[in-house]
Amino acid sequence: MTTQAINTAAPSTRGMSPRQRTWRRFFSSPAGYISLGTLAVFALIGIFGPMIVPYPSGLGTDILQPPTAAHPFGTDGLGLDVLAQVVWGTRMSLLVALFAGLLAVAIGAFLGIVAAYFKKADAVITTITDVMLSLPLLPLMIVVTAMVGPSIVTLTLVIGFFSWPEICRLIRSNALVVSGMPFIDGARAIGASPLRIMLKEILPMVSPLLIVNALLTGARAVIAEAGLSFLGLGDPDTWSWGRILQSAQRDGVLVSAWWQTLFPSLMILLLVLSATIVGMRFNDSRAVKVKGALK
Amino acid sequence: MSDTQNVAEAVPPVSEREVILDVRDLAVDFTTEMGRVSGVQGVSFTLHRGETLAIVGESGSGKTTTINAVLGLLPGNGDVTSGEIFFRGTDIAGYSEKALRGIRGKHIGLVPQDPMSNLNPVMRVGDQLAEVLLAHGKATRKDVRGKVNELLARAGLPDAATRARQYPHEFSGGMRQRALIAIGLACQPELLIADEPTSALDVTVQRTILDHLGSLTRDLGTAMILVTHDLGLAAERAETVIVMNKGRIVEQGPSAQILRDPQHEYTRRLVESAPSLASDRMKPINPGALTGQITEMPVILHVRDLVKEYTVRSHTDGKRKTFTAVTGVNFDLHRGTTLAIVGESGSGKSTTARIALRLEEPTSGLVEFNGTNIAHLRGRGLKTLRKQVQPIFQDPYASLNPMASVGEILEEPLKIYRLGNRAARRERAMDLLEMVALDASIYDRFATELSGGQRQRIAIARALALEPDLIICDEPVSALDVLVQAQILELLMKLQTELGLSYLFISHDLAVVRLIADQIVVMKAGEIVERGAVVDVFTSPQHEYTRMLLDSIPHIASRGTAG
Repeated sequence: MTTQAINTAAPSTRGMSPRQRTWRRFFSSPAGYISLGTLAVFALIGIFGPMIVPYPSGLGTDILQPPTAAHPFGTDGLGLDVLAQVVWGTRMSLLVALFAGLLAVAIGAFLGIVAAYFKKADAVITTITDVMLSLPLLPLMIVVTAMVGPSIVTLTLVIGFFSWPEICRLIRSNALVVSGMPFIDGARAIGASPLRIMLKEILPMVSPLLIVNALLTGARAVIAEAGLSFLGLGDPDTWSWGRILQSAQRDGVLVSAWWQTLFPSLMILLLVLSATIVGMRFNDSRAVKVKGALK
Repeated sequence: MSDTQNVAEAVPPVSEREVILDVRDLAVDFTTEMGRVSGVQGVSFTLHRGETLAIVGESGSGKTTTINAVLGLLPGNGDVTSGEIFFRGTDIAGYSEKALRGIRGKHIGLVPQDPMSNLNPVMRVGDQLAEVLLAHGKATRKDVRGKVNELLARAGLPDAATRARQYPHEFSGGMRQRALIAIGLACQPELLIADEPTSALDVTVQRTILDHLGSLTRDLGTAMILVTHDLGLAAERAETVIVMNKGRIVEQGPSAQILRDPQHEYTRRLVESAPSLASDRMKPINPGALTGQITEMPVILHVRDLVKEYTVRSHTDGKRKTFTAVTGVNFDLHRGTTLAIVGESGSGKSTTARIALRLEEPTSGLVEFNGTNIAHLRGRGLKTLRKQVQPIFQDPYASLNPMASVGEILEEPLKIYRLGNRAARRERAMDLLEMVALDASIYDRFATELSGGQRQRIAIARALALEPDLIICDEPVSALDVLVQAQILELLMKLQTELGLSYLFISHDLAVVRLIADQIVVMKAGEIVERGAVVDVFTSPQHEYTRMLLDSIPHIASRGTAG
C-alpha cells in the first residue's frame, strides 16, 4: 500500500504480538483513550490526592455550605470539606474495587479453567457456581458483613468472594472451547503437564476476558461498596464514596444538601462508566478471539 | 449412473447457443482496516446456455468474490468498482437489492459449499424448499407439497415424502447437499452457481453428487459455474476452465487444453502439483516394497486387535449405548517407512491416530512402540514416549497457539524437557526453521501472521524439535492449497530420508497417499478392509470399497489413469 498514512491503522502489523495489536486497535478511537484516561485520572487522585488534601476529621465551623471558592464541593453537617472526603474516598473505593476484582478474577479464573480442563471437576465446580449465582447477593453480603463486623477488609473480601461465580462461568465456557482445540492436543502430545497446559496454553487465550471481567467486577465492587457503606456497613473510620452518602443520609440532608450527594455519585458514575467502556472496548479490540462462546 | 464423460456431446455447439452470462472487466474492492484492498480485477468471461464453466483457484484467488459479485452477495465492505455483469443481456451489476432478489433463486440458483451450515436447523427440509417455490410464485399453497416431493426425488433422495418432513440433522452430509441442490434448482434457473459443492463431503459421496448435478443441469439445460480448488475435478466436470490467481484470470480455455497444454506458468505449476493428476510418485518406490523386504525392517509401531468404544447417548431415545469407533485393527509400521491409513469420515482412522499418540486409551488391544505396550502408559513412561512420538495435525490454523510467537512455539518442547539453556534453545529453533526452509526472521513473528503453508512448516518444525522416531500426521495437507500441499509433502519426504523418520499418515485422499506412502491400510466403519503395499493396492485393489475410493479420484481421459 503506497498511500500515505491517512488511515492510522494502516502501517503494517508485522512483528507485532497479538497483545500489541489489541492495544493498537484499542487506542484507534477516542472512546479508547478517553475512558482509559479517566481511569488513569482516578488512579492518580487515589494515589496522590491524599498527599495534598488533608484528612477530613474533627469539626469545622462552616456547616452545610454549598460549593464556594474555599470549599469547591461544599461542606457536610460537621463542617468537613466534601472535596477532601471525595479525594480520600477515591483511594478507599479504588482499593476495594482493585482487591475485590483481583480476588474474584483469581478464584473465577482458577476454577473456570480447572472445570474446563478436568471433566471430573466440572460437575462439582459448575454446581457450586450455579448455587452461588442463584443466591440473593445483597442480603447475603449484609448478613455476612454484619456478622463479621464492618471494616474495609471485610468489605473487600465479601465483595470479592461473592463476585467470582459469574467470572468462573464465563471463563469455563471459553476455556472449554480452547481446550477442545488441536493445539491443546499438540501440547499434550509434546508431553506438557496439565498445569503447564492450563497456565501456558489456556490462560493466555482467556486472559483478555479476564482483563475485561476484572474491570467490570471492579466497577460492580465500587457500587457494592457504596451500597454497603450507605447502609452503614462500611468502615466508620475511613472515608469512602458510600460513606459520604451515608453521612448525608444520617444527617437527614440528602435532599437539601445536593452537593453532598452529587459529587460522590458523579465519581461513582464516572468510574463505573469508564471502567465498563474500557472493558467493552478491550473486548472488541482483541486480536485473537476464541470462536464459540462470547464473541 | 449416467455417463458424465461425454459432457460436450449436446448439439448445437456451445459457442452458438444463447449467452446467459457475460462478465466484462469486473473489478471488486474491499474496504478493510488496512485500507482498500483489491478483491478481483479485470475478470471477463462468457457463459452460454447449458454450458458448464469451472473457476479454479487457491484460497484468496478471488473465485468466490467473483461469483458473489454475480449474485450481488458481496459482503458489506466490498463493492463492484468497474465492469459489467450482463445476465441474459441486462447489466445487473448496478441492480438494487430488491431487483436482485427477483433474480436470485428464480433465475440464478446457488449450491453453497458447506451443507452442514446452509440449511436452517429448526425448519423441516421440505418447508425450506417450499419457501423458495412460494417466494418466486412457482407453486401455490395447494400444490407445493407435491412439487417439493418431486424436486427432492429428482435430486436423488429416496422416499422423498418422508424426507421432506424431516429436519436437517436427520440427514447425512450427502443428503443435505442433495437437498441444497434441490433448492438451487427448484425454480429451474438458467444459471446454477455451485461453490465448492462437494469439498465438505467424503470422496465417494462427492462423486455421486457431482454425477447427479451434471445430469440434472444437462436435462434442464441449465448453465453452471462450478467453483473449485481442484483442477482435476474442474477439468473432469466442465467444458471451460478459468484459472484465477491473486484476483486475476491467468488463463481460460477448454478444459482439455488447459490440462494438456497450459500456457501460463501458474497453471503449469497447478497441473504439475495436483495430486489427482500427477502420474509420478514424489517418493521413489521403496525397493523393498515390491519384494516384501520392507517387512524385514524393524517394526516401530505394532498394533494388534485394537478396539475403541465410546458410550454415547442415543439421539432418539436418550439411552446410553456403546459406539464402536475402531475394532480389530492390526498393522505394523516399519522403521523409516510410511504407512498410510485411508478412509472417509467416521472410518476410525483419526481415533487410531489418537490412540497411537496416546491421547486416548484403547478399550482393548495392544499398541507397541519399539516393543513397549503404550496403550495404558502413564507418568514417567508416558513422558518418555511423548518425546519419541510427535504429531502433525490437520488444521495449521488451530494447531498452533495463536497467542504465542514462532520462537515460543518451537522452544516449548525443549522447555518441557528442560533441554539446553536459553541460547541453546534459540539456536535449536533456528536450526529447525532452516530444516523446514523458513527464514530465520520468522522467529519473532506470531502464528496469526503466517500463511497456512508457513504454519504447517512451523508445526512440522515443532514436531522435529525433540528428534522423534515416529511422526503421526493426521491429514497434514488437507487444509492446504494444492501448490502448498505439494511443497509440504516434498518437505515431509525430504525429512524422512534425512532423519530416517517413520510416518503414520492419516488421510482421506488416496491421490495424496499414492504420492508418498509405502504401505496402505484402508479403513471403513472402524475396520480394516484392505491392506498392502501402495503399488499393489493401486494397481489391483481387492475390496469393493477400495475400488470405489480409487474411482472417485477425478480421472482425466488423457493422463489420469496412467497412475
